[in-house]
Amino acid sequence: MNRTAEAVLLAGAAAIAGLGVTLVNLARGGGVDADVGLTIVVFVLAFGGLHMAMRAWAPRSSPYLLPIASLLAVIGFVEVYRLDDRLADLQRWWILIGAFLAATLVFSLRNAGTEVLRRYRYLLLITSLAVLLLPLLPLNWSFPLRGRLVNGSRLWVALDLGFLEIQFQPGELAKILLVAFLASFLAERQQALSLMTRKIGRFSVPEPRQTVPILLAWIASFAVLVYQRDLGASLLLFASLVAMVYAATGRASYLMAGGGLFAIGGLVAARLFSHVESRVQAWLTPFDYYDTTGYQIAQGLFAMGSGSLSGSGLGLGRPDVIPFASTDFVFAAVGEELGLAGSVIVISLFALLVAVGFGIALRSRDLFRKLLAAGLIFAVGLQALLIIGGVVRLFPLTGITLPFMSYGGSSLLANFLIIALLARVSHEERV
Amino acid sequence: MNGPIRRLALAIFVGLALLLANVTYIQLARGPEYRDDPRNPRVLLARSSKERGTIVDRSGKILARSVQDPLAQGGFIRRYPQGADTVHAVGYSSLLFGDRGLERAYASELRSKEDVTISDMVAALLGRDLRPQSLVSTIDLDIQRIATEQMDGVEGAIVALDPATGEIVAYVSHPDFDPAPLLDATSAPAGDALEADPDQPLLDRVVAETYPPGSTFKIVTLAAALENGVASPETPFDDPVEFDLPGSTATIRNFDRSTCAGGGEVELAVAFTRSCNTVFADLGIQVGADRMVQQAELFGFGDPVPFIYDVVASTIPSADNFTNNEAALGQSAIGQRDVRATPLQMAQVAAAIANGGVPMQPQLVREIVDADGATISTTEPVPGPRAVSEDTAAVLTELMIDVVENGTGRNASVAGLTVAGKTGTAETETGPPHAWFVGFANDGARILAIAVVVADGGSLGDEATGGSVAAPIARAVFEGWSQQ
Repeated sequence: MNRTAEAVLLAGAAAIAGLGVTLVNLARGGGVDADVGLTIVVFVLAFGGLHMAMRAWAPRSSPYLLPIASLLAVIGFVEVYRLDDRLADLQRWWILIGAFLAATLVFSLRNAGTEVLRRYRYLLLITSLAVLLLPLLPLNWSFPLRGRLVNGSRLWVALDLGFLEIQFQPGELAKILLVAFLASFLAERQQALSLMTRKIGRFSVPEPRQTVPILLAWIASFAVLVYQRDLGASLLLFASLVAMVYAATGRASYLMAGGGLFAIGGLVAARLFSHVESRVQAWLTPFDYYDTTGYQIAQGLFAMGSGSLSGSGLGLGRPDVIPFASTDFVFAAVGEELGLAGSVIVISLFALLVAVGFGIALRSRDLFRKLLAAGLIFAVGLQALLIIGGVVRLFPLTGITLPFMSYGGSSLLANFLIIALLARVSHEERV
Repeated sequence: MNGPIRRLALAIFVGLALLLANVTYIQLARGPEYRDDPRNPRVLLARSSKERGTIVDRSGKILARSVQDPLAQGGFIRRYPQGADTVHAVGYSSLLFGDRGLERAYASELRSKEDVTISDMVAALLGRDLRPQSLVSTIDLDIQRIATEQMDGVEGAIVALDPATGEIVAYVSHPDFDPAPLLDATSAPAGDALEADPDQPLLDRVVAETYPPGSTFKIVTLAAALENGVASPETPFDDPVEFDLPGSTATIRNFDRSTCAGGGEVELAVAFTRSCNTVFADLGIQVGADRMVQQAELFGFGDPVPFIYDVVASTIPSADNFTNNEAALGQSAIGQRDVRATPLQMAQVAAAIANGGVPMQPQLVREIVDADGATISTTEPVPGPRAVSEDTAAVLTELMIDVVENGTGRNASVAGLTVAGKTGTAETETGPPHAWFVGFANDGARILAIAVVVADGGSLGDEATGGSVAAPIARAVFEGWSQQ
């Protein structure tokens, strides 16, 4: 497949977006309005622009990334549009900005490549930790950058520009920076970490000082959990970092150690926060807690059950009765209106994206790029797995977004950047 | 290096495969269960978005219709132009409180089947009419209004029906309520207030409440005596001031605490006209428990009256309960003690006698018509099992006419009509008596049977009798009916 095929697929995705918005318009009983044209233009601009950027500055990058990402973004956008016009207006901007930032990233790395990230790894680490702590800024102070308390979690930062206040979740960006740092760190220490020089009883363990990164990861994600009360982001961050250590060393003992640390963290969190326990209850028996914590999960099940095989049709279901339908529960909304068919398409697209991403990692000859690609795509795949798994009751529900599909600027921007990095890694392999 | 990365990829793929399995299970295997769960708001919202057919009275006046819901685009909401007057006869369709009455009994006919599902589109292509069907009720709105007006300020029920067909022309339960505040999505407070109202306006007293029938039950006692040859209208009975209940120190007295006809002996017919408790307690004991209970059951006691609404069964204790307890039998024979009847059951007693001994099943719907106005089905009269012989019915009719012409039921008489009936003043343990009138009017061509009960004496309280409170209500309904 070449870039021309990519362009054709992207044009197809933009057409599907226009078609989806048309169907929603018709289902609302009104005429087809300007949103159809606007949506097509936005997708053509965003993904067409990104496509041109790839042609110009990363011509040998994988042509599979953009079509898959764009189709996910299209399905998510149409469902968000169907749920809330105003959110869709904002989402269009986020898609444009995300594509622009991704193109900018590809442009910036056009000469030096991902090598830059490897070189400045401690800058990345410091930046990521600082960014992670941004939401803990005071809620009300004169400085235009403030923390925000949303739904009991301190995940948000508000940037007050005077005429406009922009809110974002810095955790999404911190995740990318941490993955890049760890990829660089591990690429250098891979040998030392793999050697299990010490023995405790029957178990071989590495030099204690070599375990610093995994402990650091644990502390960072536990800090996220404790201060920001965000189980999902914390788990996602921690699991991604542990997975990278495992990828670098091939030592399953790191996975076990990670699992053990996670279990400890989880137990402590369950003691500290009542909402951890209630989430577990709502997961196991949502209908017993229908009036309280199980309500959202139950509404998601009603939505997906009502959708059945072929769905109600776009705009013809009632996904608007699900709390947080456009963010956490966008998968349930798609499941209702597009049915099992839509659910399978979404999961399959994520499987394809994960396959392409891991393919890039596997083909990389350079250890840093290999770990970078593997870490990024693992984070994307795990995020999709966790939130969809929460909606379909495979896991307890964690309030994280579905990559490319949920409404939300921070999440979209971060995932666009991940696609740009993956593209760059794949480009560098074929120089 | 690639080994661990492959295993990480495999872990994600296994996870995604589990998602596929789980989502398939949820959407297909468990799908129908979730879809139909009563807590699923789609069940409610889907209903509101469907148009329902109209319900009209027997002359075409609108009792219920669907209009565009001002709160939900594309949705429909019910309007009941008669408000409280027809609420128990017609019922209502509320978003939050569900369907009641005809709206529930005929929900599938009234509701539009126009769905966007593929199976409905196929059905439409095959020529099935998916539009909502409409109902022609048996209710006569004019008579319904007259009856409703009569119950102003009191608790009770009226049911009036055509004995030949079972068609109900008036169906009133009071206190009533306007269903309008119950209909839309904002109705929760109004509904909760109605449910908490101590006057129980939501209770349908025609079918869902039983009252001691008092002296109206003497019709059943008399029928048992006639059917079994225990006595005839001319049979003389002792006429004491008090009738000593056998095996007991209790006595039974007449309403005015004196003899029935001056002492000595009194004919059964006279005792019926004057509603003498002493004689009918005596008569009940002479008939015996088995035959009393059997006759009551032939009139329909013991089972719910067959009807489209849920009816509470009217009760008489089984014959075993009267073994060695003739006192209880004597009290039951005058409609006290453990005998309980719904107003609909007592209307059926009157209707059976008016119809030569055979009660017809009560009906509330005459026709179902399609959206073009063409009749789809017409309700056929359904006779129930015979309650009394034709001869007994004729004798009972004569005696009941005498009650209205010369006895306790004089307040029910209407010039130009032959009115037959029986009053009842049922003692209650808690307060004023329930006032009853059960009977029928004949204008030479048509007959209208009626049961009226006014709970706790209505406006007269302790002074109330069936003759003073319930009989005038029946008269007003008969008058309205006769002028048509």
